[in-house]
Amino acid sequence: MIRKLDKITNKKWFSSLLWVLLLVIAWEVGAYVVAGAKRTPENILPHLWQIIGAAATGKKVAGGMTALQAVFDSARATLFRALLGFFFGAVSGFAFALLMKLSGVVEKLLFPYLMLIQLIPVLGIAPIILAITGDINVSRVVIAAILSFYPVATNTLAGFKAVEKEKYDLMHICAAKTRMIYTKVLIPSAIPYFFTGLKIAAPMAVTASILVDTLQGDGGLGCLLSQSLKHAMSIYVFWLIVFFSAFIGIIVSKVIGWIEYSVSPWRRC
Amino acid sequence: MSKEREIEIITRNLGVTFKDDQDKDVVALTNVNLEICKGEFIALLGPSGCGKTTLLRCMADLQKPTEGDVHIQGMTPKEVRLQQKFGFVFQQPVLFDWRTVKKNIELPMEIMGRSKGERSDRADEMLEMVGLKEFANHYPKQLSGGMQQRANIARAFGLDPDILFMDEPFSALDEFTKEKLHEDLLRIWRATNKTILFVTHNIQEGVFLSDRICVLSPHPGRLSAIVDIDIERPRSLEVKDSVHFTELVAKVRNSFEGGSIA
Amino acid sequence: MEKEIRLQKIGRRKSLRQRAKESKKWQKITTVVYPLIFGAVLVGLWQGQILHRWFHTDTFTLPLLNKIGEIMRDNMDKILENTGATVSVAVIGLVIGSLLGYLVAVLAALFPKIGMGGPAVLGAFASVPVVAIAPVLNNWTKDLSDEASIRSMISKIIVVTLICAADMGLNAYRGLTEIKPFSEDLMAIYAAPKRTTLWKLRLPNSLPYVFTALKVSVPASIMTAIVSEYFAEYITGVGRQIRENIVLAQYATAWAYIATACLIGIAAYVILMAFQSILLRRYS
Repeated sequence: MIRKLDKITNKKWFSSLLWVLLLVIAWEVGAYVVAGAKRTPENILPHLWQIIGAAATGKKVAGGMTALQAVFDSARATLFRALLGFFFGAVSGFAFALLMKLSGVVEKLLFPYLMLIQLIPVLGIAPIILAITGDINVSRVVIAAILSFYPVATNTLAGFKAVEKEKYDLMHICAAKTRMIYTKVLIPSAIPYFFTGLKIAAPMAVTASILVDTLQGDGGLGCLLSQSLKHAMSIYVFWLIVFFSAFIGIIVSKVIGWIEYSVSPWRRC
Repeated sequence: MSKEREIEIITRNLGVTFKDDQDKDVVALTNVNLEICKGEFIALLGPSGCGKTTLLRCMADLQKPTEGDVHIQGMTPKEVRLQQKFGFVFQQPVLFDWRTVKKNIELPMEIMGRSKGERSDRADEMLEMVGLKEFANHYPKQLSGGMQQRANIARAFGLDPDILFMDEPFSALDEFTKEKLHEDLLRIWRATNKTILFVTHNIQEGVFLSDRICVLSPHPGRLSAIVDIDIERPRSLEVKDSVHFTELVAKVRNSFEGGSIA
Repeated sequence: MEKEIRLQKIGRRKSLRQRAKESKKWQKITTVVYPLIFGAVLVGLWQGQILHRWFHTDTFTLPLLNKIGEIMRDNMDKILENTGATVSVAVIGLVIGSLLGYLVAVLAALFPKIGMGGPAVLGAFASVPVVAIAPVLNNWTKDLSDEASIRSMISKIIVVTLICAADMGLNAYRGLTEIKPFSEDLMAIYAAPKRTTLWKLRLPNSLPYVFTALKVSVPASIMTAIVSEYFAEYITGVGRQIRENIVLAQYATAWAYIATACLIGIAAYVILMAFQSILLRRYS
């Protein structure tokens, strides 16, 4: 019996569960303290069950929708744009990395700027992109694309560069054409690195889209978030969005990990 | 070796000089003159820094000599390489993680544009030859180091090359695996009649495998002796216990210590 | 046999272009010159208003570079003041967060049974969008001070702290546990206590990983500081100025602050790299 217990406690998921449990307890203790001390505890730290209750209730909070409906409805607009931008960013990031690998001149031209763009707080310039494009939807996509672009580009390029010299030698011995070297060796080698880039990029794309929402009252999760904070509707909508966006952030990295796993059978063993 | 056999590879005054970080010349290899017959098993033997790998790479057109030249089948190494007549086995098994063992063996054939059916048949044949038939659909990471190196050899033979270059292919393996692979290599070589150039720093290995040993000495890298290995073929592991074997090992060793003939 | 061999010229002549391509000096020069050319072209496109035509915009939304420069010079005092606000938030948050993250990693490495899952949970925090945390902390810090400027600053610092802690915790844990195969055994042979193993082996081993974390968290701390300014109660900081000036349609001033944000990001990275080259000299 003790041995069996020991076996369970040695598992990684057990430790993770312990941590989650600890966080939940900490949250609830905090919520009780806040509830005793403050007049509007739901603004500061509501009980978890209150948030869940708000999600489950059928009470209409905004425009004839329940809290959960309202969140999902805005999430659709926001996440769709985030996904679109993410897609464009990832594709162009990969293409740029390929271009830089293909041509030394292009690499020298662009590499310092690729490093530079990482250092620029792109989210900080979101408002100006909105001003230039003039359209909230376009700017959402553009910003998500820029933010997805550079982690994908730098990681993929690193993948191309990590190919061992012996593999080039082998291709040379086989008298392989450049196209062959790319399709058979370089691109497959860079795939895991490409996925690493995607995993970094995805939460950024989501964050960017939500942030851009808050800049203009035109629907979307961020917009709903600001309204709820200004008490234009139930504050629990705010809490739902906090949890929902955290959840989305975690889920997308898991989904990308799962896609990587399913396209790379050699990793399963 | 029999004199009437056709000469396949000739090197003349072959030399390679590198530039180091301070732009100073470093002579890696100088004045190598060598004639290798078709179907011969040649060992290039020497301590590290003697230029044996450099010599191999020059012949395989992986490196350009700075002096002299190499002729293979009356052509430049580049011309022969472009006809895809070379096979190369590296010290580390250079396998592709995302391909199964069989797909790894098929890779050079894919590059040559062979048909799918032919590739598959040939790969099966090679797998059988190196004794990896049951592992055809495994991924490289699932194999032991010895099995990976077998797959590597199978891939080099898969193209049916005229000349096979092997750069210390067994040096990372344990003694038991190594002996097994020595026997396998000799069996495959006998069956296919390739010209093999085998780089090694192990005297016993060189004596056991080859027809002739080219002894190289360092500083600067040069060919210091050529020793004929007249042990009868086919050779089995017992050969290593014979007096003649020991004598040949001693002879090779002395050719280092006795200085150079150059 | 002899005739068959086509003799080649020894020491083949190379064309000048080929020779230039192979020389190391030429390589070094192009690494510097090519990006400069690209930058010059970019500046030309901007100043020549060609970028404006491409993006269908005007010099009001996308002011010319000299105009931005002028505004930066004229408003130096205000810009420096706001830079100070942003940088102090980013730096304080970075320092506290990194220390906190490292501490969590050390604890997790010392008590593996409980600690194992910690980094995974921290990793989940790293993918939580900043926009979700910033408003929460605004609410939390409401009663901490009567001064809006102080409580805003505290809430911004906490956001940066959380982001940096997650990043540092993950990387440091890896550095503390991913140790060369036999070194742990070596410590065991000498019967080294846990404390000694930590000091002599784990901590030095984690140093390169600390810099890996910082390379991500230094730019992230600035980005987070800027974004959390958007939600802050008190109006200050480079990020907030970008937003306020755009709301007021003072695009040129907004651009001056964007340029400032970029400069902060680059400067922070340069400082980090300098630190790394000094501290990690022994490792390579």
